[in-house]
Amino acid sequence: MAVGSTPGTNRRQSVQTVLVTVVCALVAATALVSLVGQAVRGNRTVDAQLASRSVHDASVDNEFYSCIDVQARSLVAPGQSAALGGDNLADVITMIKGFGAWVAVADPVSRADVVLTLRQGPGAPGTCLGTQVVGTYRTHDGRTTVRLGTGAQVTGHGPPPAPPL
Amino acid sequence: MTIVFATAAAIGVLAAAGALPVLAAVGLRWVSVTLAPLAGALVAMLAATASLTFGGPLMSWFVALAAIGATTVFGLWVVRPDLGPRRGSSGRATGALHRVAGIVGFLSVVTACAWSLRGLRSPTVGFDARALWVMRPGWFLQSHAHLLVDLKARNLVLTQTAYPPLVSASAAVAWKITGIHSARLGVTTIALLNACALATAALAVIECGRGMAGRFSRAWVPMASGIVAAVLLVVVAAGVTEPFLTNGYADPLWSLAAVGAVAFGLQLADGPSTRAAAVVLILVAGTTKDEGFVTALALVALVAARSVGRAGLRGERKRWPVPVAIAVTELAVLLWWPTMMRVIGARGASSSFTTRTDLARRTTATVHGMSPYLHVLVVAVPLAVVGGLALSGVRRRGRIGNDLWAWAALAVGLCAVGAVLVASTSPIGPWILSTVHRITEFPILEAWWIVGFWAVVATAGLAGSLGGTVVDPEGEPVEAPVEVPVEAAVGARG
Repeated sequence: MAVGSTPGTNRRQSVQTVLVTVVCALVAATALVSLVGQAVRGNRTVDAQLASRSVHDASVDNEFYSCIDVQARSLVAPGQSAALGGDNLADVITMIKGFGAWVAVADPVSRADVVLTLRQGPGAPGTCLGTQVVGTYRTHDGRTTVRLGTGAQVTGHGPPPAPPL
Repeated sequence: MTIVFATAAAIGVLAAAGALPVLAAVGLRWVSVTLAPLAGALVAMLAATASLTFGGPLMSWFVALAAIGATTVFGLWVVRPDLGPRRGSSGRATGALHRVAGIVGFLSVVTACAWSLRGLRSPTVGFDARALWVMRPGWFLQSHAHLLVDLKARNLVLTQTAYPPLVSASAAVAWKITGIHSARLGVTTIALLNACALATAALAVIECGRGMAGRFSRAWVPMASGIVAAVLLVVVAAGVTEPFLTNGYADPLWSLAAVGAVAFGLQLADGPSTRAAAVVLILVAGTTKDEGFVTALALVALVAARSVGRAGLRGERKRWPVPVAIAVTELAVLLWWPTMMRVIGARGASSSFTTRTDLARRTTATVHGMSPYLHVLVVAVPLAVVGGLALSGVRRRGRIGNDLWAWAALAVGLCAVGAVLVASTSPIGPWILSTVHRITEFPILEAWWIVGFWAVVATAGLAGSLGGTVVDPEGEPVEAPVEVPVEAAVGARG
């Protein structure tokens, strides 16, 4: 017993100490049990990424955009500028995803050496799940030339499975 | 060169660029290992912004900025050897057990992070990752003229290309040094940066346990609970952030960096080293994504306010200059990229907000959209209330920051995202459906970190109150045997 303390004070301190001990135990147990429970759920979430369906879809997605990329490279020579044409917003996004990293975009569009668009169709040889990159060139005499992208294909019918947003 | 080797090389280069500034600012601590690549990513971000502002190749800027940083640090250490990386360690408890806990904790967290990255075995490249985050690196490696066209041309449609550059700039450095210009390398590089941010935030919990060990009896208890809580938090965070942790999205990086910034800047004991770690993490969060930028602005203010403290508000002027100078520097770095976006007239530089839409309906939709993801608050709020009322003395004795700081950061992050959703002109329904699980990552993770900190504080208090020797901050016994002083444990001021 500390000097100067009374039995009443001592008892009150003991009660408070017990209370603090109980609260500490409750808080620690609640926190750790909650963390363990959520960690088990989190572990399952990560495992779901490795399901064979997810891996297959991701592989198809990669092959599709790699195919689009190769076809675009067959249409745009080094040093040429390009415009991403067409009225379909989804097509423009697909082109940005496929080859937006390297293509030299023309601004304004009228200065482009080649206008790139996508042509959708049934899955066929020479297409990326039915999609083919199309290059439109305007010559000096005003005539228009159209070429189809080559160099890669992905068999099957698209579009590729949508990855998570 | 395989992707694994290329990723290791990229992270190695980023870590090399950031190592010396981190050692100088944070000191020789375990957390410096995971902070170095993040600081290197900041150098890449500064290089990309400087390249846009002044011209010149990104890699030239990256090398130059890294060299300037290293030279400055060496110069500082020559002139002021007392500011070397080992400074400040004498004041901390540095017993053998303390050191062992540091090693075991670090290895445990790194192992848990590596385990949590197993999602990388799937070759997934996320939608936004392919459209933006690992597409823009190519832009940063083009000429200055092309970069300007890429960011400004209206026919490129995507307005998100004005987002802050840290993630894409880091991937650009990875592409340049390895010669592999692939989305996959971008994804793996971003995933490892995510892991660094996650490990850093988890190490803060271990630091909490090690810090408390010197001030309570049975020192191994808070240290062990810190390690256990940190490992569990890593696995929890991986679950919260997947699949985006490993598919190239930027949301996990800013969210985890912000959580780490709160942990070091607002929850751990205030000091130069923890403040420096917080600065790195705030800058990472604020230069990764717009949501992170808004949250980072709030964190700058909160960390500065905590550093100034009540003493500063009562007129102690010497407490003002350093926090204010740090805050101003942080703001300058954070505002550089958004300012440039406005200066060059980039697509998406000016967002469209309005108060004319049906704010009530949008608010209801936002609250209903977010609620299912915030169930952690059902645990975290009562725990914090009970802990705050009954264990504030234990917390203060352990020199852990007031819980309200962390809750303020959580509230600001949540309100910032919610306000954007409510005040924007975009259709609210599809927007929430497609993004709410990502944009709520920060408040969810922050709540779990609050739970983790309380786990450590409570076990430390339990060890102390079950009897034993209370030791002073330097690790020496001061009174034995004694229990945790009740007057300090109950009803104490925060």
